[in-house]
Parts: sequence; C-alpha cells; structure tokens
Amino acid sequence: MDADSDVALDILITNVVCVFRTRCHLNLRKIALEGANVIYKRDVGKVLMKLRKPRITATIWSSGKIICTGATSEEEAKFGARRLARSLQKLGFQVIFTDFKVVNVLAVCNMPFEIRLPEFTKNNRPHASYEPELHPAVCYRIKSLRATLQIFSTGSITVTEMKPFLHHWNLGWPWDLC
Amino acid sequence: MACINPVPKLYRSVIEDVIEGARHLFAEEGVEEQVLKDLKQLWETKVLQSKATEDFFRNSIHSPLFTLQLPHSLHQTLQSPTASLVIPAGRTLPKFTTAELGTSNSRENLAFSGYPIHVPAGVTLQTASGHLYKVNVPIMVTQTSGRASILQHPVQQVIQQLGQPSVPQLNPCCLQATTEKAQRMETVLQQPTILHSGTEDRKHLEKATCDTLVPPGNEHKIASEALLSQPESSQYIGLPGVVFPPQVSQTDSNVEPVVSVSASMIQNLHGGPLFKGPQGTRDQHVSDVQLHLLKNRKFECDSVKQPRNIEEPSSLPVSEKGSNSQMDLSIQVTDDDINEIIQIDGTGDTSSNDETGSTRDVDENEFLGIIDAGDLKVLEEEADSISNEDSTTNSSDNEDSQIDIVEEDPLNSGDDVSEQDMSDLFDTDNVIVCQYDKIHRSKNKWKFYLKDGIMCFGGRDYVFAKAIGDAEW
Repeated sequence: MDADSDVALDILITNVVCVFRTRCHLNLRKIALEGANVIYKRDVGKVLMKLRKPRITATIWSSGKIICTGATSEEEAKFGARRLARSLQKLGFQVIFTDFKVVNVLAVCNMPFEIRLPEFTKNNRPHASYEPELHPAVCYRIKSLRATLQIFSTGSITVTEMKPFLHHWNLGWPWDLC
Repeated sequence: MACINPVPKLYRSVIEDVIEGARHLFAEEGVEEQVLKDLKQLWETKVLQSKATEDFFRNSIHSPLFTLQLPHSLHQTLQSPTASLVIPAGRTLPKFTTAELGTSNSRENLAFSGYPIHVPAGVTLQTASGHLYKVNVPIMVTQTSGRASILQHPVQQVIQQLGQPSVPQLNPCCLQATTEKAQRMETVLQQPTILHSGTEDRKHLEKATCDTLVPPGNEHKIASEALLSQPESSQYIGLPGVVFPPQVSQTDSNVEPVVSVSASMIQNLHGGPLFKGPQGTRDQHVSDVQLHLLKNRKFECDSVKQPRNIEEPSSLPVSEKGSNSQMDLSIQVTDDDINEIIQIDGTGDTSSNDETGSTRDVDENEFLGIIDAGDLKVLEEEADSISNEDSTTNSSDNEDSQIDIVEEDPLNSGDDVSEQDMSDLFDTDNVIVCQYDKIHRSKNKWKFYLKDGIMCFGGRDYVFAKAIGDAEW
C-alpha cells in the first residue's frame, strides 16, 4: 500500500478549538444585554457568542477566558478569535488579545475499506486500545504527536489533536490493518 | 362580522385598572385627583398617538351608533321615558324635522337616512361612541361632507380644547358641559361650531365631514364631540365640544341656529392617533366659531387656538357653567399637548402603555441584543484610542514569554477584525415582549414557545396568549 497516496485521501478538519484570554474581567450581563448574537447561560455562568463570518461559537467566562470553537482551520480560528475580542472591545471592555492557543483540531478521514478492529488492535498493541463494550472504535494514540485517532470498523477515522499545529497527515499511517 | 380587535379593549382595561389602583394611593399622598386624570388622559393620548392599536378610541365606545333619547315629554309612544333609539351613526343618520318630532312626540324610531338631522329640544343624543349629548335646545345636526362621521355628543363633558398648530383652520371649541365629571374627553372638532343667534344661518363648513349641532338655546351647553377623520391622514383630533352661549336663547325657538361641528369619524380612522384636523375647510369657520373657556373645565385648553375660532365673540356669550350641570354628558377630551405635536414617527415603540413601553425597551435589548450602528461607531472610536495605547506600550513586547501581559498583536481598529456585518442589520421596531415557555436551538435552528405577550409589528400592537415561532440564524 502506498501510504502517501492514501493519507491524502479526504481528510478534513472539521473543528478547531482554541482559547485566548482577554486579561480583563468581563461583565457577562452587559455582554448578554448589549452584544449581538449571544446566549446567556446564567446557570453555568457563561455567555455564548456566535459569529457568522468565521462560523464560530465562543464561550466567554467572566474571568476573561474565552474558548472559541467551530472554526475549520487554525488561521480561521485565530481570525475569529480576534474578531470576537474586537467585538468585546467594542462593547467597552479593555480587551487584550493574549495567550492565544489552539487546543484541539478535529479532523475526519475516511478509509475506502473496512477495518478489522480486533486484529488491528492486536497488531498495534502499545498504541491501540479497544474496548468494544465501551466504545465501538479503536483508540489509537500517537504519543509523539499527541494525537488520538478513533478508528471505526467502517473505515472512518477521527483524529483529535492536543498538540498545536500538527500536520498529522504527515504521520505514517499504520497500515497493518488487514 | 369583522373580527373584534381585543387590543384596544385590553389597553383600556389596563389603563382603567392602573388608574383605579393608583387612585387611593394618590389620595394618600395628597396628590390631586386632577393629576391622576391628567395621567390617564396623557396615557390615552399617547396610546392613540402611537397608532399602536386600531380604533382605540372608537372601540372604546363600542358601537358606531347614534342613540337618540327622546325625553318622555316628547314621546308618548316610547316605552319608557328614557327609551333610547339606536341610530346608526354617520351614514345612516336619519333625517327628521323638528316638526315631526314636535308633532309626533314619539319619534323614537327615526329613520336616519342621512343628514341633516333636526333635533328638537330636550333630546338626548347618544352617539356611537357612547357620548351623550343632551340637547336642550333644538339643534340641527348636519353633515357637511359626504363622509360619514360619528357625531359624538358628550352629555357629560369635560371638554378639552384641542387645537392643532398644523391645522390653523381648525377651530376647536371648548365646551364644558358639566361639572360633574371632569374626565377628559376626546373630542375632535374639526370645524368651528357655528352658532347663529337670531337667524338661522346655516353655515355649513365645508369640512369633509361635519356634524353640525345646532343648539338653540338657553344657557344650555351642548357638548359636541366630533371626530373627523381626515382624508389626508388617519388621525383624528379630539376637540372639545362647543360651547354655546346662552345667548342662543335669544334665538327664536323655532329657529335653529346651526352649529357646525366638524366631526371626524372614528370609523374612518385607521389608527389611534388623535388629532389632526381636517385641513382645508376652515377659513369660514373661524368667523363663526364661538369659543368659550369655562372655568370649570378641568382640561387644558389651548387658548392659542381659541382666538382663531372666535369670530363672533360678542354676539354669543358663552354659557356659564351653571348650565353645565344640566348636561350629563361625558366626553373624553384629549390633551392639549397632543394637539400641538402631531407626530406619527417612531413613537410606536413606546406606544401602548407606559409599563409595556418601558418593559419593552428593556426587553428589547435582552431579546435582540443588537448594537446600534451609531453606538458601534462610538465604541469603535473609543476602542481605537484604547488599542492604540496598547500597541504603543506593547510594541516592543511581541515576544510572548518575557512579559506577563503581552498582546500578541494589538487589536487594530477594525483592520483584521472587521466590523460585524450585522451591526445595523436589523434595528427593527418590531418587538415582542413576552414570557417564554421554552427556547430551543439546534445548530442554527431555533424554536420559540412563547406566552403572554404583546407584539408590536408594523406599528401595530397585537396581543397573544401563546405563540410558537421558528427561526434560522
């Protein structure tokens, strides 16, 4: 099998999660009243602000920590986060855009073939863990890249990432699947 | 039949309840009753002005009928002395002559086919709006224009003169029919009332629609309340009724002085606002109108307008309030202030009630969460200064790890983080103030389950007990 050609096979980043801090206390009530497109969850103490342009949803805490989800690329995530900080600034808060960090990148990939999970697990013993009663997918961890793959028997694979800025498609796929 | 609009009734009931509830509080505080009445009047006029409800005034009267109550002396065949005859107002006002009444004395069934109407003395007229006019002198009610109009004759009146600066020709007349009730009446007097003493000069003002009330008379006041619907506008003006000086008594009882009162048909009103006198007609009226402000009136009269109206001051002295007591009419007169300001513009938002208006403002922000474009610009300018300061201080601190508070890149004033594209997307006036049962969202699909709300849509108010909505964001 040619790993390279297969790796490029329809892998899509579906979600990029990032955080940043505004370094200032945010009055959630004011954001909820005056901000546009906001959902105020008073019971948990956060405000969700949704942006259209980069389609992102931001969770805002009063401490100034903001989690930004829904972007489709890291650049877009940063762009959306800045736009969000900008809108908070316009509401009157002394917002400083600091500590921007991408915490998670979720990608989906589809293999054109099915995968036999028990065999796969056996062959990739240290990295793969499979508990069919808990979850139907094999959890494959790549420590060097801090990536976690969930491999389903249908061939679809979801990749979640902890390390920022990962080109996980450069990763050599474990092709011992059959 | 046409569906009944519950909104005006609701608003009226709310107003009544609040006023009643506050009455004893006001008394306790030592505030005058007049203030309460002023408040009520102001409230009603605001509601009307906002056009938030359809036919606010008219619906309060509930029936576009003109009831003729003939005194028992006049009618023998009437079942009761106070039998009232319901006359469809305006269009079908019957025409009957004094002679007929005089002779028959029992004309309760008046075939009101149209104007003019000769009303003999001692007749109590009740218009559709419920206002009663007691006519102690023979009067002639005419309609000067083809348009149907409701002649509202408050039997008990506290008339408030409403004039409109924009309608100079309008001649509001102040008439205080009674001292019993100092309620404010909403009257629209489009045409000055013409009172002829001595001769029966029928000057019909060429008002679009004009009900002329002719009071012959001895110190009797006839409060005429006429609402004239404007062809130009859908507003109607409340004008005080006309005061007919006692000198009318000079006139021969047979002669019926003609008083033309412009009446605006509430029915023709499209919306609530009151006031707008008919525009054109008036030059003749001025000469004929006799105005008189009575002391007992508890309403404000726009004295400015009076001079316009008075043209025969000397000949027709105004009846004193002594005769007011004879009148048991009640008219609702709108506030003077309203006359002076005819605004149809964006007062719709704070329409209906004060309470709903205020809550609406608050809820609007909560509900919509919109930043005005103007506000955004202001904030942007503020933010510019802020970000500029930041950039200058942090310009040398772009390396993250060194300094605690490091801004990676200063947020420029809209360079990379551009303006929200929906900043002034919908600065709408359509507001719903309500309670919610459930608000649900899936991705960008929203579902609303609302209850007990007031909707201001297209300037009009709609009330609902339950509402379900779907939206996509």
